[in-house]
Amino acid sequence: MSRSRRPYVLVNQLIRIAVLSLAPLAPVMADDPDNCLLCHQYRGLSRFDEATGRAHLFFVDPEYSAGYRGPHARLACTDCHRREEVAVIPHAAVTPVDCLRQCHLSSQTGIARDFSHENVAAMLDTSVHKSEALAGLEFQRGPLLEPDQSRCLYCHDEPLFRDPAVAIPRFKDHQGHVFDRCDVCHSQAISIDIEYYVRHIASRFAPARDTLEQAQVCAVCHSDPVVLADRALPNSVASFGRSFHGKAALLGDSSTASCLSCHVRAGDNAHLMRGADHPDSSINPVNLADTCRSATCHPGADPAIADTAVHLDLPAAHGTLEYALAAMFILLTLLTFGPSCLLVLLDLIQIVVGRSAAGEARVHHLARRVLDHPRGRRRLVRFSVAQRIQHWILAILFTLLVATGFPLKFADHGWARTVVGWFGGLGTARIVHHWAGIALVVGFSAHLFAVLRTFVRTARRSGGGAEDYRRTWLAMPMWITPTDVRKTFELLAYLLFLRKDRPSFGRFSPTEKFEYLGVFWGTVLLGVTGLLLWGEQIASHLISGRALNLATIAHTYEAFLAVIHVGILHIFNVVLAPRVFPLSAATLTGRTPVDKLVEEHGELIEDVARDLGIDEGDPAHG
Amino acid sequence: MVERMTKSKLQRVGVYLRAALRLAGRAAAMAIPRGYAIALFVLITWTTWMAVRYLVTSLASADTAPTQITNLPTRLDRAALGAERSAFDALDAAEHPRSPLAHYHRLDNWIRPDPFNDCTRSGCHGPLPHSRSQDVRAFLNMHATSIHCGVCHFNSEHRPRKLVWYDQTTGRPGEPPAILRAQELVTGPDAPARWKKADASDQRELVRLIRLAARDGGGLRSLDQLADHLEAYRVGSRGFEQVLAEAPAILRRHCRGEYGAKLAMVAQDGSGPQRGHPRTNRAVSEWLANQDTTDAELRARLLNAVHPLRREQALNCTDCHAARDSLVDFAAMGYPREGIERFVAPTLFRMIEHIHAGRPFNLPGVLEDDTAKPPGTRP
Repeated sequence: MSRSRRPYVLVNQLIRIAVLSLAPLAPVMADDPDNCLLCHQYRGLSRFDEATGRAHLFFVDPEYSAGYRGPHARLACTDCHRREEVAVIPHAAVTPVDCLRQCHLSSQTGIARDFSHENVAAMLDTSVHKSEALAGLEFQRGPLLEPDQSRCLYCHDEPLFRDPAVAIPRFKDHQGHVFDRCDVCHSQAISIDIEYYVRHIASRFAPARDTLEQAQVCAVCHSDPVVLADRALPNSVASFGRSFHGKAALLGDSSTASCLSCHVRAGDNAHLMRGADHPDSSINPVNLADTCRSATCHPGADPAIADTAVHLDLPAAHGTLEYALAAMFILLTLLTFGPSCLLVLLDLIQIVVGRSAAGEARVHHLARRVLDHPRGRRRLVRFSVAQRIQHWILAILFTLLVATGFPLKFADHGWARTVVGWFGGLGTARIVHHWAGIALVVGFSAHLFAVLRTFVRTARRSGGGAEDYRRTWLAMPMWITPTDVRKTFELLAYLLFLRKDRPSFGRFSPTEKFEYLGVFWGTVLLGVTGLLLWGEQIASHLISGRALNLATIAHTYEAFLAVIHVGILHIFNVVLAPRVFPLSAATLTGRTPVDKLVEEHGELIEDVARDLGIDEGDPAHG
Repeated sequence: MVERMTKSKLQRVGVYLRAALRLAGRAAAMAIPRGYAIALFVLITWTTWMAVRYLVTSLASADTAPTQITNLPTRLDRAALGAERSAFDALDAAEHPRSPLAHYHRLDNWIRPDPFNDCTRSGCHGPLPHSRSQDVRAFLNMHATSIHCGVCHFNSEHRPRKLVWYDQTTGRPGEPPAILRAQELVTGPDAPARWKKADASDQRELVRLIRLAARDGGGLRSLDQLADHLEAYRVGSRGFEQVLAEAPAILRRHCRGEYGAKLAMVAQDGSGPQRGHPRTNRAVSEWLANQDTTDAELRARLLNAVHPLRREQALNCTDCHAARDSLVDFAAMGYPREGIERFVAPTLFRMIEHIHAGRPFNLPGVLEDDTAKPPGTRP
């Protein structure tokens, strides 16, 4: 038997044992023996209390009992509400339900079983949420419970069975009709008890709520400003929402770690949750590593993974390395993106005021003569076929990475879930992100190899000495040279109307070189940090958990820088700019329109003319 | 001479005209790229501003929890009652969102305020307006989800009342709610014969109505699921018949006043639903400005002015819940016949009479629901 099948076999056996042992005790009284739902099924059955400013809803969803949707579905109303109070219609004032009340589950066979939540209350009193902790809670919107209502309601509403398929994937095949197969032989004669208990037990093999619902429960107190201030608690729900687990939950991943995954010790239940200072607490520094490395979470990780901050509240983390790194990236973004953006905006102002720099007539004339030369047109191609192919591969991979990565960054925005949905959910989106990242790194490596090969060949052709290597290195076309810096300032002066002539560049403008080097830096940084985050269990053996925090920050801020640079400036330069709209031909043919070439790449024309032996005044080549 | 002068003048005008046209053409030719450049300038500036703002706030402002987690109606106060479902992000983020704390019972759906009921939208009455009689206030509010205040509180001589359904999203008169029509399709007296010879178009119509009902009810999942199942099978197949057999019970459970439509009196001029007292805007403003007055005479005058159609005495339950001479012609209003029988059933009638007469009664003896399932059967 394969290892992967063993849990399901075990689950099936447990269900059978449970069914056989519990079925005879099961209550058979149907959902609503007293017919309370005749009135209470109406959502409008309600009133508003002007004195307290609160509405009282008396609605009970009949689907709950009719569809056997939860463990309380087969309780009669009077199992919780006092019969002597609710049996009389119209009801007089009703005492709030005591959740610790003893009820009697009776079966078809007449065997009754006493049931009470008293033991749960006893457990709770040993936990961080003991009675004293819950007493006197005050909320921003006023009291959330009625006086004397059970404090269980802070966390519990009507419990639901989760889809059995959450715990037993094979049940997915049955689309909620798990027992239809039984009907083939049993003709609907299987007792409802069996279905009910299988649902109940199957549901219990998974957490009672999915991650987001669990967070909603905890958020009632742990995100309320008044509670946080009163109890001097951090806003854990906010920081959870910023963590990977929180974002995954927001994007619909119900299997990611919930609050209880970390805050309840494996094998315990939520009512035994301890404070961090308790030696038995799952988040006590002594136990935290084991909590992270539990069988269902990060089993292969080093204990160092516990240093990764799940509740990293960056704005409040002044003085930490994480804060400093984030600040540095923000500064880097402003310093790199800002000037480029300024140039683009100033360029647009030139159009608005009707100022144009058509290039010198001399360069225009020279360009015409170069184009007329048999080899001239080819020499003016700015991007080779290989470069264009690499560019388009990069564009596709970049788009995929952004589409699958940015929803995680902005998981709390409505569009994020939609975009993730296009990929079939977060699981698939992450796979696409990882493989697109791998492809990018492989492509980058291939490009780097090609660059180095060209460099070595060129250096060897030049003589192969150390000085030749140095010169070749410095002469590589994508380096930003002092001349580029000078010309960039000249361009700025021109755009600010401080200079008459627009400077012209060679094959690649400083902006293009800057973008190229940005891809170099970005791919290395995003690739390395991405690999660390992807293989966090292996990475934890190599680096500390804090380093994973730093990797997360670097990855997310660098990705943001890349996206705004490409999304705003590069897209402007190659798509939206008036002279290239709707798409720069250079991205497809490698050729730049002559006007633009003359205006921005005049030096290239002059270089090519010189190489081809075209003299500015030589009519023989005209 | 004169002729020559006129000719030269005309020539000069022509030159000016041509120059003006050329100038206009050039200006137009320049206007397009300039407009485009301005639009791009604005777009890039705005995008950059948003990006920089995000970066700065990501480090400078305090973390807030995502609204998909926190924005729930945890407390059922006046503000929560008046808000649309869409005001609570968290309700749609999770499959089973947290219920309002004090309510406990599942409330996957949300109470929908009626944006076309002038009585509540004027600010005079709340969405749960009945509060005086402790015994019956909840029963009366129960009707407010599907019946406009005017049905019981407006004067009318018509017997039965002239009523019309109005859509709660548009305020316009419309057909009876989809859930009622769907229920009639599967439970009406002619249902067995109809479905015996039904074809794909009948199936499509039923599925359409159920989906509409799910939407009108504010996103009722089990109705959507029923429609999915009905759609999945071929008409006449065993699977279809099985699902069809389940349909009445499921539909019946959803005929509980969440119709996305309300019954209202037809306006006196027959123009549509009477959703409030006509021509009372000024009177309403006056009342709202003086509602705390202690001057009884002023109070009475203002209240009379805002309620020109008001009946002295609202209708009694048994005026409508009666097998004979009911003020509501339920059949004409599209209620399924099965439902009508329940509305006017002696059991219910007896119960209402007890409540109305202030005679408390005990639960099980009085209420017998014929549709209760025998114990031990599968749902």
